[in-house]
Amino acid sequence: MHGSLETINIEVDMCAPGWERIIDPSPPVEVIARDIIFGEGPTWDARNKQLFFTDIIGGTIWKWKPGVGLEIVLSPSVKANGTCLDLENRLVVAGWGGRTVFRMEKDGSWKTLSDNWQGKKLNSPNDILVKSDGSIWFTDPPGGMMNVGMVGPDLQRYLETQPVFRIAPDGKMSVVTEDFVYPNGLCFSPDEKILYVNCSRERVIRAYDVKPDGSVGKARVFHQYTGPERGVPDGMKCDVEGNVWCTAPGGIWVHDPSGKPIVRIKTEGHHPTNIAFGGDDWKWLFITNVGSVVRTRIKIAGVPSR
Amino acid sequence: MAWNFELVAGPFKGRTGGLAWDGKGMLFSAVAEERVLRFDPATGKADNFRRWTGRVNGIAIAKDGSVFGAQEGGRRVVQFMTDGSTAPTEEMIEGAHHNQPVDVILDKKGRVFFADAYNSQAPYGPPAYPFLPHASVLRLDNWGPRYWSLSRVTHDTVGPRAILLSADEKTLYVADGDSERGDVCQLHAYPLNEHGSVGHRKMLLNFAFPERGIEGMCLDSEGNIIACMGWTKGGSPPAVVVISPGGTIVETHPAPADSPMRVAFGDADLGSLYLTAGDGGLYRAKGIGRRGLKR
Repeated sequence: MHGSLETINIEVDMCAPGWERIIDPSPPVEVIARDIIFGEGPTWDARNKQLFFTDIIGGTIWKWKPGVGLEIVLSPSVKANGTCLDLENRLVVAGWGGRTVFRMEKDGSWKTLSDNWQGKKLNSPNDILVKSDGSIWFTDPPGGMMNVGMVGPDLQRYLETQPVFRIAPDGKMSVVTEDFVYPNGLCFSPDEKILYVNCSRERVIRAYDVKPDGSVGKARVFHQYTGPERGVPDGMKCDVEGNVWCTAPGGIWVHDPSGKPIVRIKTEGHHPTNIAFGGDDWKWLFITNVGSVVRTRIKIAGVPSR
Repeated sequence: MAWNFELVAGPFKGRTGGLAWDGKGMLFSAVAEERVLRFDPATGKADNFRRWTGRVNGIAIAKDGSVFGAQEGGRRVVQFMTDGSTAPTEEMIEGAHHNQPVDVILDKKGRVFFADAYNSQAPYGPPAYPFLPHASVLRLDNWGPRYWSLSRVTHDTVGPRAILLSADEKTLYVADGDSERGDVCQLHAYPLNEHGSVGHRKMLLNFAFPERGIEGMCLDSEGNIIACMGWTKGGSPPAVVVISPGGTIVETHPAPADSPMRVAFGDADLGSLYLTAGDGGLYRAKGIGRRGLKR
């Protein structure tokens, strides 16, 4: 179901003025991991100069260090999905098939941070991030209760809606929005004043003004994907100039802060699921795919993941 | 004797599918609405049994009260547990992921047989696993809590739609062929041994394309097969037929709606016949002169 890594190429299309500042037309591609089934959840750990990522269907959390290679962090992962780092540089994971949010402690043990909302089991936390105040934000669509090869021990849905949740630094959980029929990727603008959330069903990215108390204002449409190409908005991250990068129909789209596409990074024959910026200059773009993880060089720095 | 079907629930969105009598009520699948409902003949009302079923079609009730469901959308057989949770079963066979189960039955030993068909509607999630090169009847054997193994039972089917055990469980009836995919539809009887494996089949019925063939079956107290077949697109019209154990159609009754899906006996002494159909209804015919087999 995925293309050959021997022929993986990255090219760009849909170029709008200024695209040259984002990426070269045919940037080099380096394969980091093959023989994984479904790559997801990439996060660059700047302190230890390593990349975390997950293989959902393979049930593994991996890390990769340049010059060293791959190492298993957790297996079985109960189909874990998105990852991020908290203020203490601990890995925080959207549990997906396991239907929890959990964290790796300093001693290597794993702690569950959330497994229910008002007494009902969560849907399946998909993607996750930690704001600079330490609060944890995650999307909770139902795919980890249904998707082929991605489910855990309980497939029953209990929540009526598919919220975006926030866990405050004191541990208190709240609903950020219930606007979505399949919330997936999420990220903040560089100043954390805007929250972007995409919807894989409606193929839309919505933007919200973030209030100091952790709630958000009314949704506005940031970009609506149209057209016949396969793929849905999935992983999403911001660069330092506020451009929004989103794995979406036909490749990775880069939108300017108004939502307008600047360029699309195509990975013909491959299915990107998520992205992360990394490296010392935050100009490596790590791309998780169905079947592989690769990286390529870009010309603009991503917002540091911690 | 004419069979008078009346609509007792629905119509629901899309087709209705699997049926299973729990002793006092009839469970049935509203496949596209992703619900399993329970019709209570005492009140005449249908309420949710489970929501968010992932397009469960065929259903079967186990001795412990749990319900197995053939989940077309998730490419798996699920088990609706009595505590309200839903457990998966084994999805991999010889390193590959099976297809889209459409029908499921249990034998007296608690083994789970399911018809692992292809389906015109894509499953949930990104396509990480190709479909099997064959569509077969598969068997789940339980080895303890949450511990299943999966084995292939038939090696000569093209797209099994409905499966049924004879009263002595020594014959496995398989309605094979998906007319919506252009298959030729047939009804076969396989000798079934104690290990859950089959011998050489005997063809009972052969439908010429574009006949729809058989979609759902149950057994009456005399060992006859009651089957749903036909549609208005071509060939014989929508009907419920009675098939002798030897494979002769001995009665034909008009179905109450196009593309009848499944049939099952229910009510007191299993004296009524329930039917689901392509129009999304749940139908019932009382006093048809036949009763269901008590297993």
